[in-house]
Amino acid sequence: MDFIPHDKKVIKEILNTIGVESIDALFSDIPNEIKIDKLEIDDGLFESDLYNEMHKLSLKNGLYSSSFLGAGCYYHYIPSSVESILSRSEFYTSYTPYQAEASQGNLQAIYEYQTLITRLTEMDISNASMYDGSTALAEAALISTVITRNNRILILEGLHPEYLEVLKTYCWAQDIELEFCTEEEIANKINDDYASLIFQNPNFFGEIEDTGKLINQARNKTSKPLIIECMTDPTCLGILKPPGAYDIDIFVAEGQSFGIPPSFGGPGLGIYTTKKKYLRKTPGRLVGKTKELYGDKIGYILTLQTREQHIRREKAISNICTNEALMALASLIYLVSLGSKGLKKVAYNNIQKSNYVKRKIDKLNNFSVLNQKPTYNEFLIKSPNIDRFLDLCEQDNLLAPLKISIYYPEMENTALVCITEENSIEDIQLFLENAQKCV
Amino acid sequence: MKKVRENRNLIFTKAFESAEDNYIPDLDIPSSNLDDIIPKNLLRDNLPIPDVPEVEIVRHYTDLSQINYGVDSGIYPLGSCTMKYNPKINEKIVKLPGFSIIHPLQKKNEGAILLMEELSQLLHKITGMDAFTFSPAAGAHGELTGMFILKKFFEQNGNQKNKIIVPDSAHGTNPASAKMAGFSIIELNSNEHGEIPLEELEFAMQEGDVAGIMLTNPNTLGLFDRNILKITEIVHKYDGLCYYDGANLNPMLGICRPGDMGFDILHLNLHKTFSTPHGGGGPGSGPVGIKEGLIQFLPEPYFIGNEKIDKEKINISHSIGKMKSFWGNFGILVRAYAYIRALGKNGLSRVGKVSVLNANYLRKRLQEFYHLPYQRICQHEFVLSDKNFPNKITAEDIAKRILDYGIYAPTVYFPLIVDGALMIEPTETESKEALDYFAETMIRIYQETQNKPEFVHKAPHNTPVGRLDAVLAARKPVLKE
Repeated sequence: MDFIPHDKKVIKEILNTIGVESIDALFSDIPNEIKIDKLEIDDGLFESDLYNEMHKLSLKNGLYSSSFLGAGCYYHYIPSSVESILSRSEFYTSYTPYQAEASQGNLQAIYEYQTLITRLTEMDISNASMYDGSTALAEAALISTVITRNNRILILEGLHPEYLEVLKTYCWAQDIELEFCTEEEIANKINDDYASLIFQNPNFFGEIEDTGKLINQARNKTSKPLIIECMTDPTCLGILKPPGAYDIDIFVAEGQSFGIPPSFGGPGLGIYTTKKKYLRKTPGRLVGKTKELYGDKIGYILTLQTREQHIRREKAISNICTNEALMALASLIYLVSLGSKGLKKVAYNNIQKSNYVKRKIDKLNNFSVLNQKPTYNEFLIKSPNIDRFLDLCEQDNLLAPLKISIYYPEMENTALVCITEENSIEDIQLFLENAQKCV
Repeated sequence: MKKVRENRNLIFTKAFESAEDNYIPDLDIPSSNLDDIIPKNLLRDNLPIPDVPEVEIVRHYTDLSQINYGVDSGIYPLGSCTMKYNPKINEKIVKLPGFSIIHPLQKKNEGAILLMEELSQLLHKITGMDAFTFSPAAGAHGELTGMFILKKFFEQNGNQKNKIIVPDSAHGTNPASAKMAGFSIIELNSNEHGEIPLEELEFAMQEGDVAGIMLTNPNTLGLFDRNILKITEIVHKYDGLCYYDGANLNPMLGICRPGDMGFDILHLNLHKTFSTPHGGGGPGSGPVGIKEGLIQFLPEPYFIGNEKIDKEKINISHSIGKMKSFWGNFGILVRAYAYIRALGKNGLSRVGKVSVLNANYLRKRLQEFYHLPYQRICQHEFVLSDKNFPNKITAEDIAKRILDYGIYAPTVYFPLIVDGALMIEPTETESKEALDYFAETMIRIYQETQNKPEFVHKAPHNTPVGRLDAVLAARKPVLKE
């Protein structure tokens, strides 16, 4: 297969028009010493062979009847409307909407996305998306250093370890110092020299932070550093007070929970929101509403592009170009499909189911729940028999919780459990029975 | 495309208070009082997102899709964007549960790892690079990764080189990425052939503080730099590294390899060269490939594509860290892998050849009507300019008028080194009929610029909205309802 429609006759006609003898003559600028005869890869495949081979390859990955694993990537129910609309090839085969008049579908959808995300978060502005939660956070951190002209960042413990690693990479290159603190230490540490305070909520261990209290601790000392909140599963916003209800300067999140399949961790969606006063220091695309130049109809267009790399080059606020537009569309359709009622129910069921299991496990001998604060859909359990418990789950075809020592070697015998609305009562019972076997 | 000119309502106007949630069942376990789990002060008061019946949602977005143009709608000649046809089989494959619903932290991931290993081996053969990371989510993210690797390389060698050479024809992401990695930029002006001036390059390198060069080859004029081997030699002579921007790799498939041109690092745009759909601006994937000597700086996770390298001996103690959570945009990797396997060696070589054939065909057909600043055989794309247009017609006017004929426009006003640029890349998947339609449309518009310039100047006339006021949008930004 090569998806090239020309036959030999057409190629000859085209060569005649160009006025060259052969296609090879078109490559005369390339030095002979680097030309290759052919690629050393296999011959192509027919579609049916390709499909069958790929199907077999896909079966080498584990598929489970139910998942108890989260840690930054979540199983939530995706309404069929999402996949149906995303399959419209006018959406998925289009490019970044440079020609607005031929891209109104995409542009209006992104404008709706920006609107919906600001309503969900109660922040002033949402951009058109970033790559994922981790890079959205890293860019937010860089921007806090631009806004404040400071180069120290304070991070509250409980940030997703992969997000932290990405943040470290981005900050290393610009000589930005990262420092860490506990909630109790914020007030003692923070001062005018910091660019930002970063915290994740619910944190990596599943705990819901008291955002108001955190911010007061920081703001009682200094108003200079930005407060940056990050979230890995924003379905909790169906019930939890949103960042915009507090004095959050930049709120970022991983939007995968909103209608995007796990897909081995990507593509996801970077949600980036901020205050109006930071509009011109916002990375990424923005879609604005405008009207016709020679008429009165309303239309949508990429705007404020003087922030961006294709205009400002090295003076741009970020290098981002391609983002995750189709994933933003998925999240838009997810959110409007569920609506306020559905999203509330998702959040409610996550809280209830997860906390039900948490209470049950905490009562078992040899098991303890480590969280002190309220939790959303994840919590930490510890048991000397944790390995056996996780094995039993896998044997029953349950995707087992994350053994947290892969990120924190010092935290032995500890696992991060995730329970969402997708875990049925039967799955939950089986999970608890396995725990019961390990007391 | 629906061409009805009417103001379309936003989805928010289609909400009904009575609309029910159809998706999430009621709780099937014993519940507690919510206040006992979470303190009341942490709960939100209201949730202002609309409740819309499913049928209204589906009709709303189907309507919006009908006023949007994709590759499936017709030719998409955006220069440097490589808008080729996206094979349908890849969309079917990526939805297989064994690819789509697997968790990045699950242990039974043999198929996913195997796919990435094989993809890195294939990309090794195609590009001549030895190892790859699939973390970068887009081309610019790949550039940033590459610049971080460069920075780390010099840091480890105790060498404080802090400048990067970027030609004036480069994509804007190049200088922006280098800057984000903490480099300052030396912009090098292209010579009269649109190529790198060797003397000036050598002069800049002699200063001793230049870490390397970022180069797109063929460049954004669609021209292959004939001095490429001398360029990489000069940069290496002064201990610099050469970075290849893979945005324009498509015409090189099966013809030559960046690794053989002397490049040390590159990124690929899988959403260009390897046919994964653009999605209206992402998701993309921008894998970074490097030569063996740079493996120790790769971010995790990484894959060795060159089977001659002993994996046991690899030490990445100087890794730049992580660039993105988990493995990268895996769903895009699946499609790119399937594409490479489907085409195989002969198919991929035909891609390179026919992409160049098609571009030269259009160049030849249009150059007698439009100003062609660089009169040479081009590679996958070429650049016209609005110079000499009668009646103050601009490149933007031409682009807007093209939309009226039911096809998409070229990239305009880029590269910056051509005033009023129209950058045209047809790709290999366009039939002669589609190419002819584009050429004839361009020629007809040329005639219109003579006969009815005002009409062209106010184009488009047949699109779902008329020309939009970009200045108004930027002056009084309305970014939400």
